[in-house]
Amino acid sequence: MSSVPLSAYLVTALLLFCMGLYGALTKRNAVIVLISIELMLNAVNLNLVAFAKYGVGASIRGQVFSLFTITVAAAEAAVGLAILIALYRNRATVNVDEMNTLKK
Amino acid sequence: MTGELLVFIVLFLITITGGLLMLNLTKVIHMMMALVLTFLGIAGFYIMLSAEFVAVVQILIYSGAITIIMLFGIMLTKHTEAEPKTGWAKKGVVFTGIVLFFLIMFKGIRTISLGPQADDLHVNNTEQIGIMLYTDYVIPFELVSVVLLVALVGAVVLAKKDEKDEKEGEQS
Amino acid sequence: MDYVFLIPILPLLSFLIILFTKPIYKKAGLVGTTLTGAAFLCSLVVLFSHFAQGNYLVEANWFSIDTVMISVGLEVNPLNALMLVIVTLVSFLVHMYSMGYMANDERYATFFSYLGLFTFSMTGLVLSPNLLQLYMFWELVGVCSFLLVGFYFYKPEARAAAKKAFIMTRIGDVGLLVAIFLLFWQTGSFELDVIFQAAQAGDIAPSLLTLIAILIFVGAVGKSGQFPLHTWLPDAMEGPTPVSALIHAATMVAAGVYLVAVTYPLFSASEVAMTTVAVTGGFTAIFAATIALAETDMKRILAYSTISQLGYMMLALGAAGYTAGVFHLTTHAFFKALLFLAAGSVIHAVHEQNIFKMGGLSKKLPKTAALFLIGSLSISGFPLLAGFFSKDEILATTYGDGRYVLFVIGLLTAFLTALYMFRLYFLVFLGNRSTEAREAPSVMLIPMMVLGVLAVVGGYIQTNWFGTFLGDWLETTPYTIAFVHPEAPFWIPLVASLLAIGGIAVAWLVYGRKTSIEESNERNGLHTLLYRKYYVDELYQGLFVRGSRVVAYFWMYVDRFIIEGGAAAVTYAVKRFGQAGVKLQSGQVQTYSTVAFSGLVVVLLLIAVLGGYF
Repeated sequence: MSSVPLSAYLVTALLLFCMGLYGALTKRNAVIVLISIELMLNAVNLNLVAFAKYGVGASIRGQVFSLFTITVAAAEAAVGLAILIALYRNRATVNVDEMNTLKK
Repeated sequence: MTGELLVFIVLFLITITGGLLMLNLTKVIHMMMALVLTFLGIAGFYIMLSAEFVAVVQILIYSGAITIIMLFGIMLTKHTEAEPKTGWAKKGVVFTGIVLFFLIMFKGIRTISLGPQADDLHVNNTEQIGIMLYTDYVIPFELVSVVLLVALVGAVVLAKKDEKDEKEGEQS
Repeated sequence: MDYVFLIPILPLLSFLIILFTKPIYKKAGLVGTTLTGAAFLCSLVVLFSHFAQGNYLVEANWFSIDTVMISVGLEVNPLNALMLVIVTLVSFLVHMYSMGYMANDERYATFFSYLGLFTFSMTGLVLSPNLLQLYMFWELVGVCSFLLVGFYFYKPEARAAAKKAFIMTRIGDVGLLVAIFLLFWQTGSFELDVIFQAAQAGDIAPSLLTLIAILIFVGAVGKSGQFPLHTWLPDAMEGPTPVSALIHAATMVAAGVYLVAVTYPLFSASEVAMTTVAVTGGFTAIFAATIALAETDMKRILAYSTISQLGYMMLALGAAGYTAGVFHLTTHAFFKALLFLAAGSVIHAVHEQNIFKMGGLSKKLPKTAALFLIGSLSISGFPLLAGFFSKDEILATTYGDGRYVLFVIGLLTAFLTALYMFRLYFLVFLGNRSTEAREAPSVMLIPMMVLGVLAVVGGYIQTNWFGTFLGDWLETTPYTIAFVHPEAPFWIPLVASLLAIGGIAVAWLVYGRKTSIEESNERNGLHTLLYRKYYVDELYQGLFVRGSRVVAYFWMYVDRFIIEGGAAAVTYAVKRFGQAGVKLQSGQVQTYSTVAFSGLVVVLLLIAVLGGYF
C-alpha cells in the first residue's frame, strides 16, 4: 500500500483545476486565458493518470487516454493561438473584454 | 514519513506555487514561466504514478512545445506592461463560485478509495502503452493524427496574412 | 286624413334634398320653405278633417321581443292636430323669414337642412303614439337644437351654449327615460293608450305613479327650461335669431309642455305630481320674469320671458288647467315667434343686441316697431289680444283650483311681464337716439305680419264670451282628465288687465319718457342679484362643474399615480430585468462561462445540500 493515497492526487488536481478556472474566467489577457485552459487540461490529465494507478480496474488505459488528451490539448493550443493571432491582426488587442462581437 | 510522501509534498508545493504565481504575477512572460514550474511538477507526479512515458511526453509537449508556442504568441502580440485589472465584483463572484465548487468536490474526494492499486504499470511502461495504442486504440490513434493534421493546417490558414490585408498593409 | 304621414316626411325630404344637393345653394331656402309650407297645408287639412272624423291612429309592427310588440305609428288627436298646425306654421314662417335673415350666411344651405330636420323631429314627436318613438324624436329634437344653437360654431360662446343646451336637457332626458322604463316595467307596453288605461284602472301603485309623473316632468323641465334646468335657454340665444324663434315658439321648449300635456292622464292621477308641476311652473314664471327685468341683451330678455311664459303653462297644467296650458302654448307660439322674428329684424338692421345702445328705432323701422308692439301687448296680456285670453284662462284656472298663492304669483308675473316687455320696447324703439337702420326685406316682414295677425286674433278660439271652442274640442279624449271649468270671478280679467296696463305705465314712467338712457354701471344689491340671474349659473359652476372637476381630478390622479404607477412599476421591473439580461449579453465569452459555471455550482450545491450526494 502506497503511503500517498489517491485523494491526495485528486485534491492536487482539483486545486490546479480551480486555479486554471479562476484564471480562465478572470484574466483579461487572451494568452493567459489560453494557458489557464491548458492548466485545467493538465489537472484532468493528472486525474486520469492517478486513476490509472488507483482507480476501479486500474490499468494502462488511463495513461493512453491522457496521451490522447495531451495531443488534443496541443492541437487546441496551436489553433487557439492561431485564432488569437488572426484576431490580434484585426483588432490590435489581446484583451478579452474587447472581444465582444458575439453580441452582434 | 516515507520518502514517497516527502517527494509528493515537494512536488505538491512546486505545482501549487507555480499555479499561484501564474495567477498573481503581472507580466505575461513571468506568468508563462511560472506555469512551466507547474508543468514540471505534474510530470513529477506522473513519475510517482508509474507513468514515465506520460511524464516525458508532458515535459516534451507542455514544458517544451506549448510553452514555446505561447511565448511566440506573446511575442507576436503587443502587451501592455501590466495586465489590465478585472473588476472586484466579477472576481468576487468567480472566486466565491470556485471556492464553493472546490468545497463540494473536496468533500466528495477527501476519503475516496477505489479498489487495489495496479502494480505492473512501471514494468515496460512505454511498451505497454505502445501495445495498447496499436491494438485496442488504433482507430482513435489514427483519428488523433488527423486531428493534429487538421490543427496544423488550420493554424497555418488562420495565422496566415490575407492577400487583401497584405495589399492594404502595403498601401498604408 | 290618410295623408298625415306626409307631415313629418315633407320636412325630412327638405332636410335630405338640401343635404345632398348643396350645389343648389341659393335655392335651399326656397326648397325648405316650399316643403314646410306643404307640410303646413297638410296639417291644416288634418286639423279640419279631425273636426269631421275624430281621432285617427295608424300603427305598424316595428319589431317584437318575445311577446312584446313594439310598434310605430302616427296618431292624430286634438292635441296633436293643434300642435302640428302650430309647429308647421311657425316652422314655415321661420323658413321664409330665414331666407332673408340668413341670406348672407355662407352656410345658408346647411342652416335650412338643419331647420328641416328640426321640423321633422318635432312633427314626428307630436305624432308619436308610443313613448319609445316619442323618446327617439325627443332626442332628435335635442340634437337639432344642439346643431342650431351651435350654428355659429366658430364663436366660443356659441359652442359653449350648444354644449350647455345639450347637457342640461340631457339631465332632464334621463328622468324621462327612467320614467319610460318604469312605465314599461309596470304595464309592459310603450303605447300611450295602454299606459293610460292601466293608470286609470289603478294597475300602477299610486306612489309609483307619482314618481313616474315627476320623472316625466323632469324631462319636461329640461326641455322647457324650467327652474332649475333653465340656464341653457338664455345661452341658447347664441344661435341665429330665427332658430331662437323656432326653439322658443314651436319646437324645443314646446316639446316639454307637450310632453306633460300628452301624458296628462298620469299627472292628473297624482295630486303630488300636479302640485310639483304647478309650483315649479309658478316659481319659474316669477323667477325668470324678475331676471328679465335686469337683462340688457334683447334676445336674452325674450329668452327669460319664454322661460317665464313656459312657467305659466306648467302652472296651468299643474292647476288642472289642461285647456289653459295648451291654449297658452298656442298663443305663446304666435306672439313669441313674432317677438323673436321682430327682434331678429332689429338685430339684422342694427347688428346690436344691447338694448341700451339702441333707441328711436320706431322711426327707422316702423313696421317692425308696430309688429313688436303688437307682440309686446299680446304677451303682456293687454285686453282683447291673444295673450290676454290665455293668461286670463290660466289665472282663472289657478284661482278655481284653489291655489291662491300661485294665483298671486301669476298676477305678479303678469305685471312684471308687462314691465319688462315695455322696458325693452321703450328702450329700443322710443327715444331720439338715431341709429343707422334699414327696414327688413318683405320676405322677413310677411311672416311677422302673419304672426302679428295671429297674435291679435289667436285668442278668440277660447273665450268666456264667444265660446270655448278649444276647450270643448280638446276634451274629446277617452280619458277622464280632471278638467276644471273655472267659474272665473268677473274681477280676474279686470285685475289682470289693470296689472298689465300698470306694468306698461310703470315702464313708461321709468324708461319711456326719457329721450336717451345710458346703461348705468351702478347697481344696487337687488339689481345686481337680478342682473347676475340669481347667481344660478355661478352656483352650478361652483357646485356641479367644480364638483365634477374635483372628482375628475381625483380620478385623474388615481389613474395617473396608482394605475399608471402600477403599470409603470411593472414595465420598470420588466425593463430592469431586461437590462440585466442585456448586461449579461456582453458578448464576452468569459461572462458567459462565468454564468454557466455559476449555474453548475448552484446545481452542485443543491445536490450537495438536498442530499443524494454522489
